[in-house]
Amino acid sequence: MKANTTQIGRSMPRLEARAKVTGNTEYTHHLKLPGMLYGKIFRSTVAHGRIRSIDVSAARALEGVHSVITGQDILALVPEPYFGPAFLDQPVLALEKVRYVGEAVAVVLASDPHVAESAVQLIDAQYDELPAVFDEIEAMTSEAIVHDVLKPSGTFPDLKHLVGRKNTNIALDYHLKHGNAEKAFAEADHVFEHTFKTQQVMHTPLEPMVSAAEPGDQRLTIYTASQSPSFVRLEIARLLGWQESQVRVKVAHLGGGFGAKLYIKLEALVAVLALLTRRPVKIALTMEEQFYTITKHPTTFRIKSGVNKDGRIIARRCDVWWNGGAYADIGPRVTQKSGFTSGGPYDIENIDIESFALYTNRPPSGALRGFGIPQLVWAYESHTDIIARELGMDTLAIRRKNILREGRPQATGTPMRSAEIELVLERVAARMKWDQPFDRGSGTIRRGRGLAIGYKAVVAPTTSTAMVTIAADGSCILAMSTVDMGQGSDTTMAQIVAEIMDIPAERVRVLNPDTDVTPYDMATLGSRSTYHMGNAVKLASEDARDKLLAMAMDLDLPPETTPVPELFRRKYGMQAGTVVGFGSFVPPYAPPDKTNGQSENITPFWMIGGTGVELAVDTETGHVRIERMINVVDCGTPLNPAIVETQLSGAAIMQIGFSMQEKMELDAGQVTNASFADYKIPGFHDIPPVFENEMVDAHQPGAPFGAKGVGESATFSVSPAIANAIHDAIGLRLTELPMTPESVYRALRILQNKPVEDE
Amino acid sequence: MSPFEIAEPATIADALALLSGDDPDIRPLAGGSALMLMMKSGVFRPTRLVSLRRLDEFTGIAATPEGGIRIGAMTSLAAIEHSSLVKQRAPVIVEAMRRLANVRVRNQACIGGALAHGDPHLDMPPLLAALGAEVTIVGPEGERKVAVADLYVGYYQTVLAGDELIREVSIPSLAGRHTAYQKCTTRSADDWPALGVAVNLRAGKSGISEARIVVGAVAEIPTQLRNVEMILQGRTLDQALLAQAGEAAAAELSPTSDARGSAAYKRQLVKVYVGRAIAAAMDVVAS
Repeated sequence: MKANTTQIGRSMPRLEARAKVTGNTEYTHHLKLPGMLYGKIFRSTVAHGRIRSIDVSAARALEGVHSVITGQDILALVPEPYFGPAFLDQPVLALEKVRYVGEAVAVVLASDPHVAESAVQLIDAQYDELPAVFDEIEAMTSEAIVHDVLKPSGTFPDLKHLVGRKNTNIALDYHLKHGNAEKAFAEADHVFEHTFKTQQVMHTPLEPMVSAAEPGDQRLTIYTASQSPSFVRLEIARLLGWQESQVRVKVAHLGGGFGAKLYIKLEALVAVLALLTRRPVKIALTMEEQFYTITKHPTTFRIKSGVNKDGRIIARRCDVWWNGGAYADIGPRVTQKSGFTSGGPYDIENIDIESFALYTNRPPSGALRGFGIPQLVWAYESHTDIIARELGMDTLAIRRKNILREGRPQATGTPMRSAEIELVLERVAARMKWDQPFDRGSGTIRRGRGLAIGYKAVVAPTTSTAMVTIAADGSCILAMSTVDMGQGSDTTMAQIVAEIMDIPAERVRVLNPDTDVTPYDMATLGSRSTYHMGNAVKLASEDARDKLLAMAMDLDLPPETTPVPELFRRKYGMQAGTVVGFGSFVPPYAPPDKTNGQSENITPFWMIGGTGVELAVDTETGHVRIERMINVVDCGTPLNPAIVETQLSGAAIMQIGFSMQEKMELDAGQVTNASFADYKIPGFHDIPPVFENEMVDAHQPGAPFGAKGVGESATFSVSPAIANAIHDAIGLRLTELPMTPESVYRALRILQNKPVEDE
Repeated sequence: MSPFEIAEPATIADALALLSGDDPDIRPLAGGSALMLMMKSGVFRPTRLVSLRRLDEFTGIAATPEGGIRIGAMTSLAAIEHSSLVKQRAPVIVEAMRRLANVRVRNQACIGGALAHGDPHLDMPPLLAALGAEVTIVGPEGERKVAVADLYVGYYQTVLAGDELIREVSIPSLAGRHTAYQKCTTRSADDWPALGVAVNLRAGKSGISEARIVVGAVAEIPTQLRNVEMILQGRTLDQALLAQAGEAAAAELSPTSDARGSAAYKRQLVKVYVGRAIAAAMDVVAS
């Protein structure tokens, strides 16, 4: 091994940067196949209803239309056409019922996409409308039942108790018990209880979802903008009753993902359409259609704490309701895997958590950059601030008093290891000069500051594998199924290979995922790739390197000094041959006890994110101007600091949008602002003028060169830090997102006992 | 979006002939930034678009001998934003550009389109109306001039006939004028305005001698606040007068609720922003 690293910690530019800015990057949207048909989707206009009829005759008769396919047509090919990562609840096209406005009901296929689009307007569907439910709390007891029977996927043992359950919208109930909360509440000096809500928002990748399928001889190739090519292969093979090797999934670069392009989105649809027509079929959604595909969970979180006079939190109860929409997607996993951190990064000896995944008649909810964590931190960090203020304590002091320190048990009982919670908190406070006086503004402009800290456990257990190929001239190819969707994984993984092989990272060629070639990876999600795939890539590189060393020994050549091309020439007599290294990684994990959620090892690593905010509130209009934002994370040792920096900025800016302005507005289940004209994501002028990012000095044991995931960490604490700063500025507590100017202004008027009178 | 014909006439006569009359599926195309949104959402499905980009008479920014500016209708908002002439003679327009959508839109959108579109949620109509600008309209009958303040008759409705085009807009001299445009957004900072207030004052030792105040985005068309203008007449600016102007503005308008805010909230915005815009106009001169 070399003494010094040269490739790790290097802020090298992204490998694909040049191709991207010169317009040479491959995207699935560019794909054209000979004889390809374009599909356009006809969508439900009712939120919940039985399908009485679908009249496609006029559409079918339009010149240029190849065919019109409905759910019934698919049954001939796939008798049970339902998919999903946790529940097999989502039909490829609606069958018998529709469960949300925008659900795919039929598809028109034509060689000309404009013809297909025109024909969609000619389809007439009739529904017998059913009562609908949109609110997660109402869904707990509503008479409107979204799914007649629960259909958890058979592969998960922890979902078995839900099989066949009827007359409920609760897809999953998760419970955690640690200590004796009830007893501790009775003994506490103070008990505080608050309820917080979050709204439905969308991922908004600038590249909308797109998939194509090409039928072959007992084969099917799927081209898709997906974050989970291995899962797509597995799930399509399962739907068709095929072997995995009959399905090939190819993924190009993605124009953003953020959790929107996970599991099955359009892939099952294009697969069955291609097999039914024996033609290549492509479906590319418009930006507007994305609002009807996957979203972020709206939530209600009731949080109750028992606190002693000195500010010590001795008991906590968390009730969280996750609005999963019409199909479960990965929602039940959000309920569980994020659920167990609902109590926050605090050392609380007695804690009860109840977390519910609910079906409603909204567009489905899934994972969105944080896997539910931002919704939780929003509640527990707002709650923490309120408690401090009620007790007359400094809001930093209460956090210091209760912070979960190294070695102490988390709510699951797992002892905290390599989680720099305290350091992150202290770095936020130090950068804000928390102990110094603060300019509080005057007149109609009032200033305030706030901070918040959150944490997340990486999802477990999951597997990554990788393959490193050494050519006879010493150049390297990395084959892996991690998807580079803009987060820079191709570059950082190349840096790992390069470090082991002792070559510049620019010389490592990273293949785009292709399941015929690139080996299995669970998915690119939840900030898991750096650690899991990073380990697999490191193992594969070491395996290749060891094979080269062994080759040198066989040839009686000095292993450390013989150039690699020389090795191959000596072994094969010319520039020939290949060395392949393989790496497979699955971290240790102890599944939680089914009754109380306790585990000795609930996660391979923790992600920590803290945010500090200074802002000004215009008390005449409710406008909030964030003047300074500080994001501090523990991501271990960064492999590429420049890329980490952009991940932090990107995550925080995205969460600023979810905090201040974004909201999918629904009217009877219909999204009324499903376009960029009316759904406004942050623009440049919405970004705080002073924006600081910091990675604390840390090292994650068991991780590749000490690095762990970071794609989500700067989302965690943004919303409550802003709310806490607003409270600091004007004494006003907001409990619902987004914190729009009007919501601030109205709340302020209520606080002043002069509520706005509506006209 | 379905295929359609796009024509690029080189003369005004050809352009007018291609527009020909009352067919709502045929429209002129300037920058297309607004039209494309309507086409993507299916609100507008053209059979023909008549692009004006080859018409030389529609281009250029020039000084007028009277101290004003003439701007060709096909001038991009970005060109106006970066024009030294506009900066010198009408800095209020340059200032307004900074938060008008974003760089990409300003590079694409043209001043003529921004005026002819008739969308009440735009920044240029109230501002140019307050500045006393007028447009030159060409049509089959020849040319006519209309004040920007008189261009709008209803929601997305202007006095322009289907075969008429705005050729240029002229802004009079603003020498001795105190001007400001205050934009208020409630979603993203670069959103269309929830409210825009344009102020154009003449003031001397004996107070305000002339006032024109036009608000956008609260009604179906840009609205001149005549009561507020009367209140300001002959008065010297102080905090009490600003408050009075704001109250009068809120009383004079009837905002409607929409995605950018409730009627009651918008009334509050009017009250606050009218005062702020008047103050800003006076500050510009004071400095």
